[in-house]
Amino acid sequence: MADEAEGRRSETDAPPPILEIRGVSKRFGSTQALDDVSLALQAGEIHALLGENGAGKSTLIKIMTGVVQPDGGELIVDGRPVRVGSALEAQALGIAAVYQEPMIFPDLSVAENIFISHRDRGRIVDRGAMRRDAKAVLDRLGVRLDVGEPARGLTVAAQQTVEIAKALSLRVRILIMDEPTASLSAHEVRRLFGIVKALRGEGVAILFISHRMEDVFQIADRVTVLRDGRWISTRPRGEVTPASAIRDMVGRTMGEFFRRTPTRLGETVLEVRGLAREGAFAGVAFTVRAGEVLGLAGLVGARRTDVGLALFGIAPADAGEVLVDGRPVTIRSPQDALRVGIAYTTEDRRQLGLIFPLSIAANITLPTLRRYLSRFGLVRRAAEDAVAQGFKERLSIRALSVETAAGTLSGGNQQKVVLSKWLNTRPRVFILDEPTRGLDVGAKAEVHQIIDELAHDGIAIILISSELPEVLAMSDRILVMREGRQMAVFDNAEATQERVLAAAMGQSAAPAGAIV
Amino acid sequence: MTILLRRVRPEQVRELTLVFILIAVVAFFATQIPNYIAWQTFTDISTGVEIIAVVAVGQTLVVLTRNIDLSIGSVVGLVAYFVGTLLASAPGLPAPAALAIAIAMGGALGAVNGVIVANGRVPAVVATLGTLAIYRVALVELSGAKTVTTDSLPSWLLNLPRMSVVSLGQLDVRPLVLLALVVVIVFQLVLSYLPYGRRLFAIGSNPDAARVAGLPIQRDVFVAFVLSGALAGLAGFLFLVRFGNITVVAGQGLELQVVAAVVVGGVNIFGGSGSIVGALVGATLINVLQQSLIRWPAVSAFAQDAILGLLILLAVASDKVILGRLRTIWVQARRRDEERAAATAAEQATRGA
Repeated sequence: MADEAEGRRSETDAPPPILEIRGVSKRFGSTQALDDVSLALQAGEIHALLGENGAGKSTLIKIMTGVVQPDGGELIVDGRPVRVGSALEAQALGIAAVYQEPMIFPDLSVAENIFISHRDRGRIVDRGAMRRDAKAVLDRLGVRLDVGEPARGLTVAAQQTVEIAKALSLRVRILIMDEPTASLSAHEVRRLFGIVKALRGEGVAILFISHRMEDVFQIADRVTVLRDGRWISTRPRGEVTPASAIRDMVGRTMGEFFRRTPTRLGETVLEVRGLAREGAFAGVAFTVRAGEVLGLAGLVGARRTDVGLALFGIAPADAGEVLVDGRPVTIRSPQDALRVGIAYTTEDRRQLGLIFPLSIAANITLPTLRRYLSRFGLVRRAAEDAVAQGFKERLSIRALSVETAAGTLSGGNQQKVVLSKWLNTRPRVFILDEPTRGLDVGAKAEVHQIIDELAHDGIAIILISSELPEVLAMSDRILVMREGRQMAVFDNAEATQERVLAAAMGQSAAPAGAIV
Repeated sequence: MTILLRRVRPEQVRELTLVFILIAVVAFFATQIPNYIAWQTFTDISTGVEIIAVVAVGQTLVVLTRNIDLSIGSVVGLVAYFVGTLLASAPGLPAPAALAIAIAMGGALGAVNGVIVANGRVPAVVATLGTLAIYRVALVELSGAKTVTTDSLPSWLLNLPRMSVVSLGQLDVRPLVLLALVVVIVFQLVLSYLPYGRRLFAIGSNPDAARVAGLPIQRDVFVAFVLSGALAGLAGFLFLVRFGNITVVAGQGLELQVVAAVVVGGVNIFGGSGSIVGALVGATLINVLQQSLIRWPAVSAFAQDAILGLLILLAVASDKVILGRLRTIWVQARRRDEERAAATAAEQATRGA
């Protein structure tokens, strides 16, 4: 009843919003992260923000908290345009954010964490008063914590509470919560929602970002959907259904997409049964055949990369079976993985994929350097260059020569060097983690072309991608994950954006026909 | 043991553990060296530790922020030489003025480090390794390889170390020791009670969170380096007073001893935790070892450095392993207590209903 009244109030005699985002745009390189987005937050409302990976939610948070400056548009607080140039300025305006992984100081006590940003508590720290005030703030939230305990020992839920208490003590008026429930148990979520509702009662505007539909429908007063950096819709909760929200979120356009050429599938190369790693994922089971592309779809936090890392032995699984060519194998390290013919390209090309100052040739031969040693243990540069030259032509790496430093290449060509490096290990199974992230349209198409050719050559490919259209276009089958669980496996023919996204958001019951 | 652990946090036990180790070391040498337990030994140790302690205070501030200041040995030498020459040419200069000049000069040298690290974003190891060399060369150039000698210095300076402020029985408390003690206490209070001290812990504990919290990271780190330099300047003055003869190698290698004192004293080399008092105990421990090993015929002089190195490794390892283990035990004990309390509360509630 109360919720209905609030909904009506914002419709009819809406008071001026506490925060208004007007026509905000932001561009990073070739990516338009936000494009003319407008959004208004009322005092005392919980406003859910929904969107697929890359819809622009994170950029919006960064702009609101002063981490990033918008290229265009403005922020209006209490009817006055403001410039949020730093975290400090955001704080002064009463804007605070609580993240999925809380930004706490592990060595400081709970009380110290709450009051670290305060400027108005005198020249000398009054420990007694600080502990008292910290207790008072936590009492307001209905939470009991030892305020002298170092934050290191707290659970994630308790750390989040400390962050909320900190925001509250700074007289927060606009609280941004970014995936706050992702690492909480059901019981902890209930408690968090109790706190959030209490804050709403005190007139705080809450921007609530979550991938969990059930959370959004349980708590939000209004729901805004972003897609491809653009505003799509804002509706009162009563007018939104999970199906309508998903319909708003999908339908991303990525231009003309690559079309796979038909490939004849071979024998099953990789079989995974009941794969699990404590605290990351569990119950993952699938097969990949030679020449097949298996897409791994899911939203941020679905733990797809963790599956890739487990299969490559970087973060080994602690349960389950892996069979290569029908034989069980143990993978405890990348060396183990390479021995049985599994290769993996990282999503973090910059940090983990390439050694920038080294030449293209040196990067390509890095995991296989033993093959290029002379009798005296020296690197045979000529042999190395010959192999690199072969890849340069095969994948059309555009560079002056194979002696060029990898760091000077464009993103697309860097990715081709990474692919060459692992192809040179002659893998049977190739795990590609976000292979087109950050690439422009042309480079993306080239990488897609290469994936298609590799499948033709009989390599079993696992494609991890956050871009739904890419997964749909490139995969023979699609495995959907959500929060470390395998939700569904679709054949390419039966997969639609709606069905995949619904599964990724835990709405697997939603029939595909009903949405389209 | 568990009852004790429940009441006292692992972080609080750390300094206490060090004190026990210190007592154990003293007890050990008392059995090995004849006439070890004598007032003279303690007077030696207290005067020996003053320079390292003062520099270790500054180093602690810097290390807390996840940085390091390796240039201090050169700062001590340069300041000692500069003030020494100054006093030789102007013997009328009053003592407080000489002290102020030493501190100011150290602070200026520290400010250079601060600008390079905080504003230039150069890693502290690289930046201060660079200034370590530069300041040392500056000393060589300035001195022209000449030495400040005792006979060129005013008499008040030479008498200072032998003066006794307080005599407890046969234990003489020297004014310089007292000065070092004041520095330790003042900066321990700064860390405990000033917002600035609190921010130093925060910056080293989680730099990302510090940025999000809007803390003035650049300024705070800069100030930490200035303070480290200023305290090294003060130590330079103490160095001059204590030794009188200042050569171009004055203070060389001090950084190893100071970093050792800080780390052995329980300051986390990755920032975020530690205390000034801990650093003082660390410095004392190292000094006791050094002075005792000289008198212990069982080991050669060369083994002393090895023992110092071993001590650093032990300190860092124990910090990771032992403290981590203590923390787990502590958290588990707390959880059990809370669950038990919750269970009792629930039981009472049902009984009441």
